[in-house]
Amino acid sequence: MTSRFERAVYPVLLGAIPFGVIVVFWWLAPRMFEYPAYMLPTTAEVLKRLGELIQSGELLGSVLSSLGRLLGAFVIGNLIAIPLGILLAMNARVSRVVMPVAIFLQAVAGIAWAPLAVVWFGIGNVAVTFLVVNSVFFSSLYNTISGVQSIPLVLWRAMRSMGATQPTLIRELIIPGAMVQLLLGLRTSMALGWRSLVAAELIIGTNGIGFLMMDATKWYGTDTVICGIIIIGILWLAFDRFAFEPIERLTVRRWGLLSNH
Amino acid sequence: MNRLLRAKADIQAKRVDAGPGTRWMTPIWRRLESVGGFIVVIAVWQLAQQASGLPSTLFPSSLDALHALVDLYQVGILYEYTLLSLSHYLLGLGLGAGIGLALGLLISSNRRVSDILMPLVNFTYAIVEVAWIPLLILWWGYSPATIVVAVAYVVASPLVHNIVTGVRSIPPVYIRAVRALGGDRRVVLTEVILPAIVPSLFNGLRVGAGFGFRALIFSEMISQSEGIGYLIFTSAASQQTARTVAGMIVMGALWLFLDRMYLRPLERMSTYRWGLSSEAEK
Repeated sequence: MTSRFERAVYPVLLGAIPFGVIVVFWWLAPRMFEYPAYMLPTTAEVLKRLGELIQSGELLGSVLSSLGRLLGAFVIGNLIAIPLGILLAMNARVSRVVMPVAIFLQAVAGIAWAPLAVVWFGIGNVAVTFLVVNSVFFSSLYNTISGVQSIPLVLWRAMRSMGATQPTLIRELIIPGAMVQLLLGLRTSMALGWRSLVAAELIIGTNGIGFLMMDATKWYGTDTVICGIIIIGILWLAFDRFAFEPIERLTVRRWGLLSNH
Repeated sequence: MNRLLRAKADIQAKRVDAGPGTRWMTPIWRRLESVGGFIVVIAVWQLAQQASGLPSTLFPSSLDALHALVDLYQVGILYEYTLLSLSHYLLGLGLGAGIGLALGLLISSNRRVSDILMPLVNFTYAIVEVAWIPLLILWWGYSPATIVVAVAYVVASPLVHNIVTGVRSIPPVYIRAVRALGGDRRVVLTEVILPAIVPSLFNGLRVGAGFGFRALIFSEMISQSEGIGYLIFTSAASQQTARTVAGMIVMGALWLFLDRMYLRPLERMSTYRWGLSSEAEK
């Protein structure tokens, strides 16, 4: 019989093993292989660098400016894309015409616009934000349209024949009917936006976590780059745990949109 | 995420296709309809360019882009770079899919092993691939190797994640039943695990292929050696903005081609053959 305490602690300990193995291997690596010191700094160096970055406030500043930009772009992009997507998709003909274009633009959205963004806005935060809004917008638009399209035609006809007006249709049919896809769209657009953000900061940024890393490569600052990679992983895990899981629980599961899970 | 995707598949399986109101349309008319959107976009683009009066270096018109496209084709750059991009992508995709599949099956082959490795898998999945690029550049320099490794990583990481979560979601009863009826580990693998993870496998592959394509363009831009991404990036730097737009169009067309020709048929084939998108789940 295992106690509740053991059941809570055991998986954590078990899951910590591979991280421990990596750290030990990393710690032993300089003794086992020959390579230039800049390629893989020691664990101590990386920790020291992390301490420096935290103490100087550089890390916090970069993370906050990145997150602020991401959230702003996420809100703006979705606020435009979701209503527009619903309006476009309400007419079957219009949505058939728009869909191929939406697919195409969604495929080129984001980082491919980087050179144009630089030409238009110059290197810096405006160009970065433009790229993130761009990728959030197109991904969300595509998901909204295909979400509305996936609502069975029978339901439309039923509501129309009972005399539902457009606002009622939106409230009672489209929003609940497309909810799964809308949420999936929010999540996908966040994932894509986050990728574009890091990518854009790497090539055309002037501050933020991506810029911190790319700037470091110029001075062979592998320790800073590794710190950045770890921070980026932790940030995304936090997003997932504290933002998306609760939303998913509150909406999809409660409304019974998921079948037998 | 997987639950959401499954719910979406459920909904789409029940989707009712074009109603009787559209039956009179000929297929040709349908095709024109899907091209219509592009024609509108191009017309608006052309008008906006003329109305704005901005120079072509800042806002190239659709004609400029077309000229650039023809020019790139005649010089031979277009063909060469498309081929290079495609080969980076396919190499990375193959490498990533192979490694991802092997690693995923290995991790999920044993409950204990997957308990141990799951947090690590989740963590690497959370690190966006572009974050590795500065490190790859430090290790391999600005070279095609960086591009291929970046694409392979992007493809492998969601694949491993999906396979492991797919295997974990198999009700243990099925495995026990097969074991009780005398099946050994190999039978469990071929009769229970492999069929059960097909949807998550293709899902992972699709997600990975999409993100991989972005990673391809981005790492080509940043590693500054060759390919469509490089073309897009350097053209803008040298004031040839029309070439940038032409490159973006080629990139979009390339992705649509890959998506239509390979990914969707593959997905459809696999899910239909295994009867996964039918009512079997109910």
